[in-house]
Amino acid sequence: MPGKYSVSAIDEPCRRCKAMSVIVVRSEPLCHDCFARYVHTKAIKRLERFRVNFTATPDQQPRILLPLSLGVSSTTLLHVLDLHLKTQKSKTNRTGFVISVLLIDDVVQDPASAERLEKVRHQYPDHDYSSLPLHDVFRLVPDDASIRSLLPLPVDQAKLSTQEQLVSLISSLPSATARADVLSTLRTRLTVEFAKQAECESILWGDSTTRLAEKTLSETAKGRGFSLPWQISDGASPMGINFHYPMRDVLKKELVSYINLAEPELASLVYEPSSGATQASTSSKNTTIDDLMKQYFESVEENFPSIVSNVVRTTGKLAAPASMSLGQCCSLCSMPISDGRFGIHGWGGDQQDGVEPSHAEGSNKLCYGCTRSIPQFGSTPTTT
Amino acid sequence: MAPSPCALCHTNRALILRPKDHSKLCKTCFISVFETEIHHTITMNALFKRGEKIAIGASGGKDSTVLASVLKTLNERYDYGLDLILLSIDEGIKGYRDDSLETVKRNAEQYGMDLTILGYDELYGWTMDQVVEQVGKKGNCTYCGVFRRQALDRGAARLGVKHVVTGHNADDVAETVLMNLLRGDLPRLSRTTSIITSTPSASSDPASNTNIKRSKPLKYAYEKEIVLYAHHKHLDYFSTECIYSPEAFRGSARALIKNLERVRPSAILDVVRSGEDMAKLVPGSDEGCGGACSSNVPIAEEEEGGCGSAAGRTVGGDMENMEKQLAQNDTAADNDLEIEITAKSLQKAKQHNRHDSAAVPLANGKKTKKGVTPRKTNKQVMGQCKICGYLSSQEVCKACVLLEGLNKGRPKNKIEVGYEVQDVQQRDQGADGVADVMQRTSIGGD
Ligand SMILES: [Zn+2]
Ligand SMILES: [Zn+2]
Ligand SMILES: [Zn+2]
Ligand SMILES: [Zn+2]
Repeated sequence: MPGKYSVSAIDEPCRRCKAMSVIVVRSEPLCHDCFARYVHTKAIKRLERFRVNFTATPDQQPRILLPLSLGVSSTTLLHVLDLHLKTQKSKTNRTGFVISVLLIDDVVQDPASAERLEKVRHQYPDHDYSSLPLHDVFRLVPDDASIRSLLPLPVDQAKLSTQEQLVSLISSLPSATARADVLSTLRTRLTVEFAKQAECESILWGDSTTRLAEKTLSETAKGRGFSLPWQISDGASPMGINFHYPMRDVLKKELVSYINLAEPELASLVYEPSSGATQASTSSKNTTIDDLMKQYFESVEENFPSIVSNVVRTTGKLAAPASMSLGQCCSLCSMPISDGRFGIHGWGGDQQDGVEPSHAEGSNKLCYGCTRSIPQFGSTPTTT
Repeated sequence: MAPSPCALCHTNRALILRPKDHSKLCKTCFISVFETEIHHTITMNALFKRGEKIAIGASGGKDSTVLASVLKTLNERYDYGLDLILLSIDEGIKGYRDDSLETVKRNAEQYGMDLTILGYDELYGWTMDQVVEQVGKKGNCTYCGVFRRQALDRGAARLGVKHVVTGHNADDVAETVLMNLLRGDLPRLSRTTSIITSTPSASSDPASNTNIKRSKPLKYAYEKEIVLYAHHKHLDYFSTECIYSPEAFRGSARALIKNLERVRPSAILDVVRSGEDMAKLVPGSDEGCGGACSSNVPIAEEEEGGCGSAAGRTVGGDMENMEKQLAQNDTAADNDLEIEITAKSLQKAKQHNRHDSAAVPLANGKKTKKGVTPRKTNKQVMGQCKICGYLSSQEVCKACVLLEGLNKGRPKNKIEVGYEVQDVQQRDQGADGVADVMQRTSIGGD
C-alpha cells in the first residue's frame, strides 16, 4: 500500500515495527503498513466462516453479496475482500468464497453510476457485478402484494410502472425522515431479494462501528427498538439470509484514513455526494433522524471512539425473544413482531382511547416504526 | 388565512398547536385531552388502588405542580378514591428552596392537600449548609445526591405512605433511554423505562421502611405540553433553572431528544416505546411484563440528572472517564483476549455511585458464548443497612457511611471521608470516584 501522501510527522515511531508512523490509531502510532494490516485484520477476523474449504469443489464455494454504495466503507470492504481472496488464491490456489457486487440506484438509473460501477469492475475484475434501480423492489419481491399494498390508494396499480409506483409511494410520505426511512428499508429489501435470487448465502454489509452505532440510536428514535437484536448482529437475519458486518470493529474515521493513505485508485472509486448531513442543519425541514445521528456520532468518534464501540457491543447483547414466531413480520421492514404488536396503538403510550388497531386489508401489517413513516397505511379507510 | 377550527370539537377556534402531534386544538380541548391521556395512563397501567394514600413528590416546579393539579382533577372526576398529599424535601440550603417551598405551600392550599416538608436535618441530622460547612464546597454534591436519592422514600415511610408519585415526563424518560444506550448500561435502561418501580427498604421494623412504590403518571406527557397545561390552567409554579449543567452523557442525550422532537414530533414517544421494548430484550431482565405486574416491579432508580448529582463536575467528565476505562479494556482485549466490557462491569469495578444500582442482578453467567470469557458473577446480594435498615448492597448504606463520617468529623481536623471525597473529586471529576472512596471506607465491601 504505497502512500498517497505523507501525514505530518508523528514524533513516536510505529509502535509495532518502529518504522515511521503516519497515523495515530486509538492512541497507538502506526506506520503505513501496520495501519493497513490493522484494518485488514479487523475485517478478516470477522470472516472465519469463509475460510477455504478444501473438500468443496471450486463451484461449491459459497457466494456472498456485497452491497456497494460507493461510499468509503463498502468500497474499502470490497478492496479488502479482493485482497483477501487474492491471498487465499496465492496460498492455496483456491478461494473461500466468491463475491457478487450489487449497486442500487435510488430513483432513476443514472448513467453516471453505471460508469462508476464500470470503474470498480475494472479495478477488481474477478467478481460479478450488477446494478438495479430501487423500484425493482416492486418487481423482485415475490409476494408483490406485501409491498404494493403500501401504495397510496386509490391508484390503479396495474397501470403504473414500477418506477411510478416507487414515486407515488415516496411522495405520499409525510416528511423527509419518513422518506429516508422508507427508501433505506426498501434498499435493504431489494438487496436481500437479489441476494436470495443470486443464491448468495450471506450479505456482507460495509457498516463501520460508527455506522452501527448511528443505526442503534436511529432505530431507537424511530420506535424500532424491538428490532435491534436483528439489526446490527452477525448471523441469521429474520429475512432468511445471513448478515455479516466485517467492518464492525473499524471506525468510520479510520476507514477514511485508510482510503486517504491507500493507492489513489481506491480513493477515486469512492463517490459520496455530500448529503449535507455533516453540516448542522437542524432547523431545516429536510433534516432526517439518520442525519442527526450521523452528525452526532461523527463528533463522538472524534474524542470518544471506545464509547462508540461500546454502544454497538452493548446493543449486540440484546437478546431476541425466544418464543418469537417468525411468521409475524412487518410488511415493510420484515422485522419479527411479538405478540401481534403491530401499529402505533394498543400500548401504554397510546392515549387514543378506543382506536382499533390497523385496519389494513389482508395480512399486511406494519410495525410501530414503519407505521410512523407510513401513517396513512394504519388509518381506517374512513379517515382519509 | 382563515383561523382553523379545533380538530376535536370543530367549533372553537384552534389556538394551540399540540406539541405531541401538531394537531390544532382549542384551549378547552387541549386541557381535556391532556387530562384524559393521563387518566388513560393511570387506568391502563393500573397505577392506583382505591383508598390508597399517595404522596406527590412536590418541588414547586412545573412537573410536580401539574402532576398535583391533574391528579386532584382526575381523582374527583373519575372518583379514584385516593388520599393525595404533598411531600417536599428541604435540603437546607439557605435561600435555595425558599421560593419553591413557598410555591408548594400555596399549592397545598389551592388543592386542599396536606403538605409535609421534611428537611435533611430531620431525615439525616444535617442540613446541606451544615454539610458544606463541614466538608467544603467541592465535595458537598455527593452528599446532596446520596441523601436526595433516599429522601422521598424515607419521608414517605415516615408518613406511613407506601406510594410516591413523581413528575417525570416523557422527555425525561426518552432522555434516559438514549443516555443509557450511550453509556452501554442495559440493566439501567431496562429499569428506568418502567412506569412503576419499587424501593424495597428491607427493615426489621415493618412500620418504618417497607416497600415504597414509585410511579410516574406523566411518563407519556411531553414537557412542552406540561408547560402549556400549566400556562392555560394558570397554575402557580416556580420555574427553577437547574444551576448545574448536566454531565456529558445526559447532556448529549438531552440535546439529541430536543433535535429529534424538532425533526419528528412523535420521536419522544417513539424513543419511550423503543425503551420499553428493549427492556424486554435485556438478558436476565424481569421486564417481560413491562414492569406493570406487581410481582416483578423493578427497583427504583433516580433518573433525574438534577442538581446534586451533577454538581461540581466538568462537562464531559463522565464521558472522558468512561472512554479512558474502555480504551484500557480494549488494549487488554487486543491480546486476543475477548473481554466483555459493559458499563455494568465498569460500574462494578468502580462501585456504582447509586445506592441500589446493583439491586437487580443480571443472569450474567447464563449465556456464555464460545471464546468469550464469562464475566465474573460478582453478584451483589441486597441486604439492609445495619444502621438505618434501608436497602443496601453493603452492610452500611451510602447515606449512613457519609453520615458516619460527618458525625465523627470535627470542623477543625478535616475528617477522612470528606477529605478524600474532595481529593478524588478533583482528580476524577466525577462522582464515581467518590463512590470508590466510599467502597473503600465501607465495611462490607467486596
Ligand atoms: Zn509498523
Ligand atoms: Zn417495520
Ligand atoms: Zn376544541
Ligand atoms: Zn443506612
